[in-house]
Amino acid sequence: MENLSKSNGGKGLSRREFVKTVGLGSLALSGLSFNPLKAWGAEGKKFVWGGPSEFQSMDPHAIYDVTSENLRLNLYDHLYRYLDNPPKIQPWLAESHTVSDNELKWTFKLRKGVKFHNGDEVTGEAVKYSIERLMALGKGSSALFKPVVDGEGVKVLDSHTVEFNLKEPYAPFLSILATFCIVNPKVVEGKAGPWGSEWLSQNEAGSGAYVLEKYSPGAGWTAKRFKDHWMGWKGNPVDEIEFRTIHETAARVMALQKGDIAACDGYLPVDQLEKLEKDPNITVYDQQSMRVMVIRMHNQRPPLNDVHVRRAISYAFDYDSFINQILKGRVVRNYGPIPNNMWGAPADLKGYTYDLKKAEEELKKASVKIDRPLNIHPMTGYAQTDDAALIVQAGLRQLGIKVNILRETWPTLSGKAKDKESSPDMWIHWVSTYYADPENWIGEMYSSARHGAWKASAWYKNTEVDDLLKKARTISNMEERKKIYEQASRIVVNDAADIWIYNTKWYGPHRKNVKGVRFCPIGDGQECRWLSMA
Amino acid sequence: MHKNNLTFILKRILYAVPAIAGLLILAFVISRIIPADPAALVAGEMATPQQVEELRRQHGFDRPLHVQLLLYFGQLLRGDLGKSLYTGRSVFSDLMDRFPATLELTLVSMFLSIAVGIPLGIVAALKRNSYLDHLLRGFTVAGLAIASFWLGLMLQLLFGMWIGIAPLGQRIGVDPPATVTGLYLLDAAMTLNGEAFLSALKHIALPALTLSFSSFATITRFTRSGVLDVIQEDFVLYERAMGLPPRLVIYKYLLRNALISTVTQIGLLFGLLLAGTVVIETVFDWPGLGLYAYNAIILSDYQAILGITLWAGVIYVTMNLLVDIALGLIDPRKTEL
Repeated sequence: MENLSKSNGGKGLSRREFVKTVGLGSLALSGLSFNPLKAWGAEGKKFVWGGPSEFQSMDPHAIYDVTSENLRLNLYDHLYRYLDNPPKIQPWLAESHTVSDNELKWTFKLRKGVKFHNGDEVTGEAVKYSIERLMALGKGSSALFKPVVDGEGVKVLDSHTVEFNLKEPYAPFLSILATFCIVNPKVVEGKAGPWGSEWLSQNEAGSGAYVLEKYSPGAGWTAKRFKDHWMGWKGNPVDEIEFRTIHETAARVMALQKGDIAACDGYLPVDQLEKLEKDPNITVYDQQSMRVMVIRMHNQRPPLNDVHVRRAISYAFDYDSFINQILKGRVVRNYGPIPNNMWGAPADLKGYTYDLKKAEEELKKASVKIDRPLNIHPMTGYAQTDDAALIVQAGLRQLGIKVNILRETWPTLSGKAKDKESSPDMWIHWVSTYYADPENWIGEMYSSARHGAWKASAWYKNTEVDDLLKKARTISNMEERKKIYEQASRIVVNDAADIWIYNTKWYGPHRKNVKGVRFCPIGDGQECRWLSMA
Repeated sequence: MHKNNLTFILKRILYAVPAIAGLLILAFVISRIIPADPAALVAGEMATPQQVEELRRQHGFDRPLHVQLLLYFGQLLRGDLGKSLYTGRSVFSDLMDRFPATLELTLVSMFLSIAVGIPLGIVAALKRNSYLDHLLRGFTVAGLAIASFWLGLMLQLLFGMWIGIAPLGQRIGVDPPATVTGLYLLDAAMTLNGEAFLSALKHIALPALTLSFSSFATITRFTRSGVLDVIQEDFVLYERAMGLPPRLVIYKYLLRNALISTVTQIGLLFGLLLAGTVVIETVFDWPGLGLYAYNAIILSDYQAILGITLWAGVIYVTMNLLVDIALGLIDPRKTEL
């Protein structure tokens, strides 16, 4: 039908369509250029922080992970709080406390005149309500309190005095208090969901330095400065803060360089860090954090139940290559389960190095036959675990041991790790700072009473260590506790219960006009009340 | 004709019900067989085995599989999609929160690809083998071959960073307009909120462009081949010979036949986009269904996964139904089954 296409109709048609397309195009473009480029976030008194994770819920008692720490630190207050690095516990809503002689009764005196965001005063009732709510919901950090605090055991002695009764002496009690937030019962009671959980997942009932303004699941939340905060304000604080979800690493880094956000998460891949370090508008702060990378081994499953086999594997891991080549030296070698900068980690700990000769010697002493390949499970989405698994595989190949690499997601692995039969031969993860006490690491990882928790998936059972850890948990003298943890560390390392690789360093990129960044391994520098923007 | 259409539509709707039921059973069974333990996930990383058991009983995970399925169907009949393990809110309200974002992006993208694709497809067919046709062919191949996340990132880099006229992500840069439909552009227009309208337009530009690029390719190609097929037909020659103006021949008679396959494609594409576009939503931080689905899967949030699957199934079936009806209207011969 050449006629048709070459006739007036055809030509007219194509011209019309062409004009229509061009017209639409230019309209779209003009719409774009209507708005002047506004770098909102970096300039002005609004601090915007970009991170990869979403905020599924704003309820401080429902979710307890590293990301949501920013909402707990800024919108709420705790009885005690950790500040600085190394983390020091500070009285916060509580002014002081006393412990009874039998170490079962902890009495806290609350600060007077502290207000919730709606003007109500913070009293002992609120503290009692909050701890009961946490334990009733059974989520968040409740697992830390349930074995320790007596259900009936929280008494309000007067408006500003609260008494906690423990089931048995528990030295880390003060530390775990820094994990639970005080909510206003007058606001939460009667709202939708059990203990108002449906309502609180989208709102807040706190007394913290900032008041929630807007929350959009998937996009993030914004908050305004609470002028009546009990701590008062000095200098030039930030009036508005926003925690924004930006999933793609590349987009987050671009946003930081463009000035759309003022800071972002502190565990970026090395190539992005190097780019930011060269940027004249950005300062990258670095601090040793407390987050140990560890390869778990199933101590009760042959051939890993033989200490000589475990030692051999520990000698066959090329720590230097992993830390210096793959991670470009941006982490610190950690020989044992407790982070180097935490008290309780023995300073002179002699751990394992990459030494194939020693590995072979250990293998010769083994009484269990290695008659099957070993399975190692890296975690989906964490490239470093893939790298570590490959290094294990390469090292063991030199010893004639075959290793299968089976990658799975964190939910799958942490689920499997709760049962002795389904628990993996070897898997790789980190142990972050939930609370700053050696109990968070060595206590939860190597006490046989903790078997069934993912942290204890080495299935390590040593009665001497059990006794030591139990003692350290119950006595309150810090010097003594320190010595016990050091002793326990040495035994566990000698037993090669797991392979401990490194302690994380936090590299926090901030735009140069952000001042006052105060880093603590708990919170990763996201506590905004210290900040000011030039 | 009227009665024919009606029975046709009713039959189609009836076919949809077993399709959705089957989909639901399949999704339910698969999501219960995988090795992760949902109760353990909800309880949190530090839960004791006893706490996990308690939560398991609370959510009914300890009952036998067929009992759980029956309980779920009962729930659905009451209009309850269950509660998300992670957010604690009803899955239905989570979906309603996220759906408008995906809907708006899909609508704008489809509009772009149709408005550009159909006319260009017609032009390419009418000017077959001209250099315009070859240029378009190059574009369409690119549209099908280029990975959408790469294109998205490149557009972000070019227009967001280097030229700096487009935002890097999110739906809007100012306070959202008052909610009427949940579609920011529509709501801003309806409430005469100029600032919000422009901001929303600015923010939807890059993701819509990215998304439309691949569907534009499909639409152009199908339109082109559709027109080429029909242009050979006798009736076109006959009409031209009768002296009918070419514009009338094309718009009134030729297009209706040529667009049949295109309309089918549009329906399928719309369904595909609406059911969730994880990649684009990730790159541009678009708070829609795609990301919600991805998070639900990673966290083994069973109620949410089932809710999304059901929702996606309903969308697909509805789109298929609408496409069938549209085809029936365009070409009445289709209604005779």
